Amino acid sequence: MKQIWVRTVLGGCLAAGLAASASAETLTVWSRQTEKSSAVVDAVIKAFTDKTGIKVETFYSSVDFEQRLARAAAARQLPNVVINDASQVGHMQKMGIIEQIDRDQIEGADKVSDTAWKSAEGSDGNYYAVPISAQAFALFVRKDWREALGMEQPKTWEEMRALAQAFTHDDPDGNGKDDTFGISIPASSTRGYASWFMSHFLWQAGGGFVTKTENGFLPALDQPENAQAVEFVRGLICDGLSQPGAINATTADSLPAFRSGQAGMLVDGPYDLGEIAKEPGLDKTEVIVLPAGPGGIAALAEGTSAYMLKGNKDKDAALQFMSFLISPEAQEIGMNVGSEVTPLVRLPVNEDIDVLKMRNDPRWEVYQKTFQDYGHYMPSVPDWTPIRQMTGEGFNTILAQCDGDIPAQLAGLNDQVADALRDQDVLDPSYN
Amino acid sequence: MSDAKVEDPRANAQGRTPKRRRLSRKFGRSLVPWLYLLPALVIFSWFKFYPMVLGFVMSFYDIQFYAPSEWVGLANFSRAFHDTQLMVAIGHTALYVIAETFGAAIVAFFLAFALEGQARHIRFIRTAIFLPAITSVAIIAEIWRIFFNSAQYGLVNSFLDLLGIPAQGFLTDPDQALWVLILMSIWKNAPYNMVIFLAGLVSINRELYDAADVDGASLWRKIWHVTLPGIVPAISVVIMLSFIRGFRVFTEVYATTGGGPAGSTSTIMTHIYKVGFEQIDYGYASAVSFMLLAFTVALTLLHTKIKSKFFG
Repeated sequence: MKQIWVRTVLGGCLAAGLAASASAETLTVWSRQTEKSSAVVDAVIKAFTDKTGIKVETFYSSVDFEQRLARAAAARQLPNVVINDASQVGHMQKMGIIEQIDRDQIEGADKVSDTAWKSAEGSDGNYYAVPISAQAFALFVRKDWREALGMEQPKTWEEMRALAQAFTHDDPDGNGKDDTFGISIPASSTRGYASWFMSHFLWQAGGGFVTKTENGFLPALDQPENAQAVEFVRGLICDGLSQPGAINATTADSLPAFRSGQAGMLVDGPYDLGEIAKEPGLDKTEVIVLPAGPGGIAALAEGTSAYMLKGNKDKDAALQFMSFLISPEAQEIGMNVGSEVTPLVRLPVNEDIDVLKMRNDPRWEVYQKTFQDYGHYMPSVPDWTPIRQMTGEGFNTILAQCDGDIPAQLAGLNDQVADALRDQDVLDPSYN
Repeated sequence: MSDAKVEDPRANAQGRTPKRRRLSRKFGRSLVPWLYLLPALVIFSWFKFYPMVLGFVMSFYDIQFYAPSEWVGLANFSRAFHDTQLMVAIGHTALYVIAETFGAAIVAFFLAFALEGQARHIRFIRTAIFLPAITSVAIIAEIWRIFFNSAQYGLVNSFLDLLGIPAQGFLTDPDQALWVLILMSIWKNAPYNMVIFLAGLVSINRELYDAADVDGASLWRKIWHVTLPGIVPAISVVIMLSFIRGFRVFTEVYATTGGGPAGSTSTIMTHIYKVGFEQIDYGYASAVSFMLLAFTVALTLLHTKIKSKFFG
């Protein structure tokens, strides 16, 4: 018994000692990755360790990542670097857990496009992250369905609606059953999905959430263009052209609805290319630029960034790691060309890399073009999370009420956004 | 003498030792149950009571994750009274609790009444009926989403179609979603209540039924004057458990509608979840959680008091 105790205590001391000595030389990196996609990050990290000799400990999770980070912050056990959505910058800044980034300290910073750097900007104009990947959204269409019905690729809202109607009513899969729908929509308020989905259409109509002014931000949801956008999307849901249950659907529901052949269109990012290539299959699907609304073509642009967290003892190592992430070498490994596993680097931020040369795939060309020519980032208010939440609930409500008065409902939502901007001290004083 | 001297200490020793032994035995006897309880106590204290206390403390702070948290006094609590979304959620929760409690209790009572007895086929049916009570809520939610699919070809909609009723939106219709959830909870919880009622029914003296028969009482009279008074303790347990369970309803909602559509199924717990884990406002979420706890405790005490006053 005594021996066991002694062994346990000694073992514990040894482990603690190892951990202490390890923490002095290793970098801790957390990233929101699935079990599969983490392999790509591992490959990038291996190249970094081989090059610099700096060891990296990793932690990956695809669920509750932000909550885990909050708990780690509360316990004062933050990792050194976090790789997460670029849109988290305001939220993490508000939590007070990230360091400001000096572009000059990042080797190769000038090779990163200014559009990408924009995603790492805080509301004060300083940078709080290093962008490592960019992406935009495009439209997946069931090519086989479309061709079976003799329809063209939709280029405008009207054509998109017409295609959705044909997919819903004209039995595009030819099974003799009335069991298909036009488009798969995630309109749940959970995590603000409805807000995410609506963003493309607001911009396509020529509207948007807020307008940046010299003195802050003005809420803009009451503009008539936005009402047009909401009416268009509500029509898709209320006229039965979207998958059943769209109003409660998250992306975990809308992707399977497209993949299983329930719906014929899906607005999605390049991260699902692999899954969709497996089912329904490359030959049955096509990726096209989102159709134009009255205000032209537009799509949400997003990115992935590396954040340096506070309490970092070895800032140099963290900076080296972040510089490595934007180097051509790491970007190429991160693009994971030739594999269907979700790549860490979707569109490279390093301007020296020609994505189309590396990925011989027209689908990626659509994403590249959309990002460069039509991409809109979410507005850089200090903390977008509460506004995304609020507009997600607001849009969910409007889309659920098929006979609601859209302009009046949007005016109400606009007041809420104004309150949220006021809470963050960025509401333009001219707003009344 | 010398013998006596030798015996004396022995006598003393014999005299003291049993007393000491008795004491230590007594002490030991009272200690043993605590030793058995110790693992559970440690686990519960660490994983339940300590976080509860910590949560209560957090409700007085604006929780900052890296900078020191800021003491805000009762601000989080007073904010709750002006939170319109919370008020809406409380309304939904109250409707849910009342409809679910009475619905599940009434269904359970008649189930128990019909399935009382020892015959083998009755036992089989009872087991079948009890199954929803032991199935995970997440699975039940998924099954109900399939049953109540809003498509024309959805299971329930297909039946309605046979009756000439047009397809309904169910979980996607803001006017129906909460009621579908209430129906789901009744389906899940009625069997559990049934078991409690069955235990109550067994304890009723059969002679009372015989006496009622002699008096020529109808079935309804027997239920009203014999059965119901006989199972008051069971009814009380069922209502109390339903209330406590109902006010903290979460999984049923989160796995089906996530609080939508149009916020029509938001409940107190989904609101707390959104504030706490999506907006990461731990202080306010803790304050609302604590108020919910205090309310549930108060309700339980009130219920016990009313029960003892009117039904002994």
